Amino acid sequence: MSAAAQPGFKARAAAELSNAALKVAIERTTGNAERKRAAAVAAFPEFDAARERGRAIKDHVIAHLDHYLEMFERNATAAGAKVHWASDDAEARAIVTRICLDADARLVTRAKSMLGEEIGLPHALADAGIERVETDLAEHIIQLAGERPSHIVWPAMHRTREQVADLFKAGHHPPPAADDPGTMVQSARRELRAKFLGADVGISGANFLVADTGATCTVTNEGNAELTTTPPRIHIVTAGIEKIVPSTAHAFALLRLLVRSATGGELTQYTTFHCGPKRPGDADGPEEMHIVLVDNGRTRMLGDEFREMLRCIRCGACMNHCVVYRQIGGHAYGGTYPGPMGAVLTPVLDGLAASRDLPHACTMNGRCAEVCPVGIPIPTLLRAWRRRSWRAGLENGVPRLAIGVWAMAARRPRLYRLASRVGVRALRLFGRRGWIRSLPLAGGWTAYRDLPRPAGRTFMEQYRANQAAKGARR
Amino acid sequence: MNARQRILTAIRGSTGAQRPVAVIAAEAAALLGRPEVARPGLAAPELREAFALKAAAVGTTIDHLDRMAEVPAAVRRYLDAQGLPAAVALQPAAALAGLDWGGIATHPDIAPDEAVGVGLAEWGIAEGGSLVIHSGPDNPVLLAFLTLHHVLVLREDRLLPHLEDYALAVQDNPQPRNAILITGPSGTTDIEGSYVRGAHGPGFLHVIMVRDSSDL
Repeated sequence: MSAAAQPGFKARAAAELSNAALKVAIERTTGNAERKRAAAVAAFPEFDAARERGRAIKDHVIAHLDHYLEMFERNATAAGAKVHWASDDAEARAIVTRICLDADARLVTRAKSMLGEEIGLPHALADAGIERVETDLAEHIIQLAGERPSHIVWPAMHRTREQVADLFKAGHHPPPAADDPGTMVQSARRELRAKFLGADVGISGANFLVADTGATCTVTNEGNAELTTTPPRIHIVTAGIEKIVPSTAHAFALLRLLVRSATGGELTQYTTFHCGPKRPGDADGPEEMHIVLVDNGRTRMLGDEFREMLRCIRCGACMNHCVVYRQIGGHAYGGTYPGPMGAVLTPVLDGLAASRDLPHACTMNGRCAEVCPVGIPIPTLLRAWRRRSWRAGLENGVPRLAIGVWAMAARRPRLYRLASRVGVRALRLFGRRGWIRSLPLAGGWTAYRDLPRPAGRTFMEQYRANQAAKGARR
Repeated sequence: MNARQRILTAIRGSTGAQRPVAVIAAEAAALLGRPEVARPGLAAPELREAFALKAAAVGTTIDHLDRMAEVPAAVRRYLDAQGLPAAVALQPAAALAGLDWGGIATHPDIAPDEAVGVGLAEWGIAEGGSLVIHSGPDNPVLLAFLTLHHVLVLREDRLLPHLEDYALAVQDNPQPRNAILITGPSGTTDIEGSYVRGAHGPGFLHVIMVRDSSDL
């Protein structure tokens, strides 16, 4: 869903802010992720060197993206896979839907992929009349709830255990016997097993595309990816073109950063390289493998100031450490990708006019850049969007008027000093005991916090007085 | 212009003329130089101990044997300890099929709710306590995923120190359809972040380490 189709960001954020259960759910998961990441980094003294290496690997690939994409295509094709190219989301949807329809697919299993969400695959399959079963546990939960992911690593993190129990009771046959996480996970295991084995097509994403072998790599904990990609007759991979790495060893260098930054683990339970379809004589595996390489705005980013965002390996650390995300959760952002990385990517995907609020939903505290495992300067990129938004005339109303008035005064020092002198004296009239608790036209500020009562004289007045006093002492 | 040409043309418009392939390859190789400065050290000086420490830390259970011939008895001990019947899905690999399984009924097919699968690890990686399996005619991938208990036999001469050592060890071999690094039993933290074992794949991962596999 694009950001344009929903109520405005401020309305969404306000609604989420008043959702007490959401705050509990977010704090549990992100708090845990923050602690575990810190411990994993502390236990890995070489982390900074590894991060520098990861950044350099991504920059190298991005600088030679055409070379590596062609190398990947050559090797994947040699391994028996069919490589498709899609300029945008509509082309990608059409390719995947066509493969499924040509195969007369009735049931498709899917292993979690944010790229799949980005290109709108769930809706496209539904429109084509194909049953889609999400196999990642969190994706299974939000499929039952009819929702979008709220986090790129834990898509159902906005749901409490009690809410999951209600969804499973209604959606599982038979329903789970109890609502502790262990029993509920067993229930999902039972429920999905027949789907895994009965699917006609399995669709996955890719954490890495390995150029020199033509393999795609998935990184998962549950084992659902392999159960999605092995039994069906056809395996389809959808992946962004920036996922490419030169070799398996380069993938490993990034893997060390990815897992620690995402979950605080060292490795996920399953790191799987998928290279072509079933080989002659193989005991199992799909007969066809299709890989859809998706651009959808990425080559545009390559040519502008958002190029560094192509380094992103989708770990989610930026959102786990973001003070804004932790207040409003992922759905309020409105796009496929939430949090700081989403605030950079959503304007690329949905257009700045529909998402100009996102780059503003940031305190510039810099924590996202601090924890980013590939050194993306996210606050700088958000400022770039603010600048573009200003230049495109999207920043209208009070802020534009106020900054215009300020700029006019700032270029006239006498006027500026006069206005300051009047201002600090006038503001004192609203203060009680050192604080201003309410102020006409500034209710948006004072509704949530008090403003310190000004000293009564401007900085320049105090500075002159100080200088004069020093002169007198001399 | 088709999508492929559009994408490649757009990339070249931004990155400029392509440098010689050898130069790109040299730069890519240089990015992996001195790997020791950018990876974690081993948990112990000795490979088998380092592997065992890391594997245990992610919930893998471990048994140590001297010889391959002892494997069926070790599997039997595991089945008894877990209260499981003496029947396993066995990977059709020569090294396992050639053993005397005595009282354990083995079968090659894997049921949708198979209780126990016994297979052979291609490699072990000490860095994170990972086991590597490769798909092939004698190794169905589903053996590692449909089973509730996954038992892997690891020959100690197949232990490698780091992830890069695995990449190096296989680089001249044909890539299998699936190369899978298994690091602990399947799990999930998707409900309120609480860790639950056995999400879709095995809830139990048991490794039988064999010191001397020359009797293979």
